[in-house]
Amino acid sequence: MANTENLTLEIESVDERKANVGETALLLLIACVIGTIANYVATGVGALEAFPGMAILFACSVAGLLMARFVPLALPSVAWVSLFAIVITIPGFPGSAWVVEQATKINFLSLATPALAYGGLALSAKEFAIARKSGWKIVIVAICVMLGTYLGSVVIADLTLRLFS
Amino acid sequence: MPKSRALGADTFVLHGIVLAIVIVAEAIGVLRIPIGIAAIVLLPMLYAFAMGIAINPNITRATQRYLTPRVQKFAGGMITIAITPFVAKFGTTVGPQIDAIIEAGPALILQEIGNLGTIVIAFPVAVYLLGMGRETVGAVYSIDREPNLALIAEKYGLDSPEGAGVMGVYATGTLIGTFIFAIMPTLIHATGMFDIRALAMSCGVGSGSMLAACTGALTTAVPEQKDLILGLAGASNVLTYATGLYVGLFIALPLTQWLFRKARPELY
Repeated sequence: MANTENLTLEIESVDERKANVGETALLLLIACVIGTIANYVATGVGALEAFPGMAILFACSVAGLLMARFVPLALPSVAWVSLFAIVITIPGFPGSAWVVEQATKINFLSLATPALAYGGLALSAKEFAIARKSGWKIVIVAICVMLGTYLGSVVIADLTLRLFS
Repeated sequence: MPKSRALGADTFVLHGIVLAIVIVAEAIGVLRIPIGIAAIVLLPMLYAFAMGIAINPNITRATQRYLTPRVQKFAGGMITIAITPFVAKFGTTVGPQIDAIIEAGPALILQEIGNLGTIVIAFPVAVYLLGMGRETVGAVYSIDREPNLALIAEKYGLDSPEGAGVMGVYATGTLIGTFIFAIMPTLIHATGMFDIRALAMSCGVGSGSMLAACTGALTTAVPEQKDLILGLAGASNVLTYATGLYVGLFIALPLTQWLFRKARPELY
């Protein structure tokens, strides 16, 4: 295993407890603005019409960040964010019907597009080098890993669904 | 570290480039390429990622002036931030489907174990077909996204063979994962063997972009079931956020290690 040491990815364990919530909220706002424009190009839903839905998603995101920052529980912020969004849309929660109606105006695929654009731009020389150096064997293994993870779940889920219904 | 890295002129150039990429990608829109009975679904996020790579300063020299390593590192942080509203949007699809989700509850919980299917398929391929060494353990024990990478880093260090394995699959997954997860579900759906709910809930593998690609492909193939697909996938993804690390730490990694010791005792 020659020279793996200078090809080691720097994974900075992002300690969400130390994250600067104000700065992150500002960056979230930028992401939401880009998301709103993406949503407009994809669906034709204008910024004004999309605003309440986007504001709800923004609020869930910030609330999730704050929980991860201040609650002494080892839950990542994305888990908190999901939890908030789920709770406020469960039928019976005050205003849930309105929240759902507003959220429907935001196309979920359009919100993933900016993240992937950042992702493509963020790939470092090291990541390219690791992918190149690992060679074709790792590519085959990686495809098997993804196929296995997905198919394994599909088979078990399908069998369980048949069993219970 | 500069005081306000969020508001530098260089990071605004980055956001500007991203905005331009996003507009082009969304303008092209979702494309379906029919192949026989199935169809390959191309999603805007795929074009966005491809354009990002094309403009990446490690590929195109012209952008090196603007996209310095510092800005690139910042872009890496922006991925997590930009995916958060997407995660929230996914949460809002779960609430309205709560009855369907509870009904599929046992399947939803048990399919988390199905993530071990990576070992079933990838382990024999790596060890017996490709003759790989200890890299195998890091490579095949999980889908190798960030939390799984951190676990291997902690146990073996990333400069170990196991670390090389996990990094290789991580980097490859980063490069082609979105693409694989955009075509695999539709092809499996086309076999007609599986319940759409099973295909949907399996999309939640704990990676935002894989979840997006997977559900994007399924909802394009079966648009009339869109709400159900999103709700189940969203619920399963939250479950993976909560359980993924523990399944890896207590089941998947020990199991892979044990299998590897059995298969290649001479390497220990």
